[in-house]
Amino acid sequence: MIDNIPYDRPVPGHRRAERRLAARVRTVAEAYALLAPSLAGFLLFLVAPIFGVAALSLFDWNLMGAPSFVGLDNYRELAADPEVWRAVLNTIYYVVLNIPAQTVLALLLALALNRRMRGGKALRVVFVLPWMAMPVALGIIWSWVFDPRYGVVNQVLGMVGIDGPNWLTDPAWAMPVIASVNVWQYTGYTMLILLAGLQAIPHTLYEAAAIDGTTPVQRFFTITLPLLRPSLFFVLVTNTIGSFQIFDTVFVMTQGGPGGATDVLNFHIYQQGFQLFRSGYASALAMVLFALILLVTAAQFLYFRKRTVYDFS
Amino acid sequence: MKRVALYLALLAGAVVSVAPYLMTLNSAFKEPAQVLTTPAWEPAFPLTFDNFAQVWSEYDMAGFLLHSLVYAGAVTAGQVVFSTMAAYAFGRMSFPGRDALFWGYLATMMVPQIVTLVPLFLIMREFGLIDTYLGLILPTAFGTPYGIFLVRQYFRTIPRDLESAARIDGAGTLTVLVRVLLPLSRPILATLATITFITTWNTLLWPLIVTNGDATRVVTLGISALKGQYSSQYHLILAAAALALLPLIVIFLLFQRHIVRSIALTGLK
Repeated sequence: MIDNIPYDRPVPGHRRAERRLAARVRTVAEAYALLAPSLAGFLLFLVAPIFGVAALSLFDWNLMGAPSFVGLDNYRELAADPEVWRAVLNTIYYVVLNIPAQTVLALLLALALNRRMRGGKALRVVFVLPWMAMPVALGIIWSWVFDPRYGVVNQVLGMVGIDGPNWLTDPAWAMPVIASVNVWQYTGYTMLILLAGLQAIPHTLYEAAAIDGTTPVQRFFTITLPLLRPSLFFVLVTNTIGSFQIFDTVFVMTQGGPGGATDVLNFHIYQQGFQLFRSGYASALAMVLFALILLVTAAQFLYFRKRTVYDFS
Repeated sequence: MKRVALYLALLAGAVVSVAPYLMTLNSAFKEPAQVLTTPAWEPAFPLTFDNFAQVWSEYDMAGFLLHSLVYAGAVTAGQVVFSTMAAYAFGRMSFPGRDALFWGYLATMMVPQIVTLVPLFLIMREFGLIDTYLGLILPTAFGTPYGIFLVRQYFRTIPRDLESAARIDGAGTLTVLVRVLLPLSRPILATLATITFITTWNTLLWPLIVTNGDATRVVTLGISALKGQYSSQYHLILAAAALALLPLIVIFLLFQRHIVRSIALTGLK
């Protein structure tokens, strides 16, 4: 690629070196020219704000007048604020409701679909349909589905003689209902990624293991699960990062209620930053969310690295 | 027997996947009283378009959809063009700082979006872009690390010989990109465009922060405000939700093949 010099006639050694250098300089210039718009956007709208938020977290500023430097006061304040701790625990609770359910369901579906069958392709498309839905619209639809009087869920429960709870206004049920939106939305997506991972496992391994007289359950734990680890790792890491940022459904369905039962970090940050205009404090909270995500991601990396994948290639 | 159980389980999953869409659409065609008195799975009869007509005339539904179309359309156009350019530089050219920069891009995928929002808001306010399309569009229009990664991976699967042949014929970098690589990359570009459009169409948080007027109100803001106002008038808010979802369903059905394949690919490095 660097050698786009015409080959037509021989050139003396030093001239050739000069030309090579000129071509190299040109390539580098072209590469940066191609990169320029994305790099400008990256630096201005992603990198600068990341440093900006770290700096802002050390100030007290209501977006008017001059910001005043307060050192670590924002962090001291949030550490002493029971609402912040509640938001952290709510966020973790949401992730815990969400990720295991979604991953296990997706794995079961992927295992079921990982064979030649009539309509397998169509089923895949159907399972991915929820993935594209607008979370705001889903929040509206779920609020209706879980409406205590007019909702489908309580109507069905009523048919079998169960008096359903007031779901979204019940502090114990509001979060599970919100988590169910996400499980519904992302199970199919997760399933597709796991299915691709399953299909990459060579058949010969299963055949050899079957000849050795292993049971299907043994084969699942000794072949499928270890070889699926990279795909599992990928969906766990990316889905967890996404789940920590839950906002839309909370905004539409509960606004953090009832009684703060669904006040998650992202929603809390939004309220502090953009409703109460405490931008320094909101920035400090954003740093906490960032740290939490980094911590959990790092833990997942360590866990998966410890259990290394055996390379069959 | 085992096979029947398997099919039944998969069928149940499929029903759960489409039921919320179908029930919403069904109920949006019912008369207001029927929405409350009949179960959601009971077919709408008689069919009425009144709910759609009402949200269309009493609220600026057409405006919401149009604003979202401009927002998502502009971001998609920008992302496809700029991600492709960057992906070519990252995937096919060598230059100092390439790998460090690429890892820098990838690392930011771990940064939660909310982290950037306060500073982004301040930047937009500084440039007087609050409540404008530019303010909405700019932060994501120059390509995202995800988009660049997606296209770069695809470019790397295209044989280099094709490119060298064009180079020997005297083609420059831009010609090679436009004439050789792009025609071969239609599937991935369609995928990137579809995913970007859907993601942007569905975005709530950034529009919530950077706009507050009617002139740029996008559909996510429009229907969530509607829900706040008419929380139990389900015939209206379901009709509005159906209208907001409709473009997504059309796009999805048009591009489902690309979408399904690209999701499957994201897990395999």
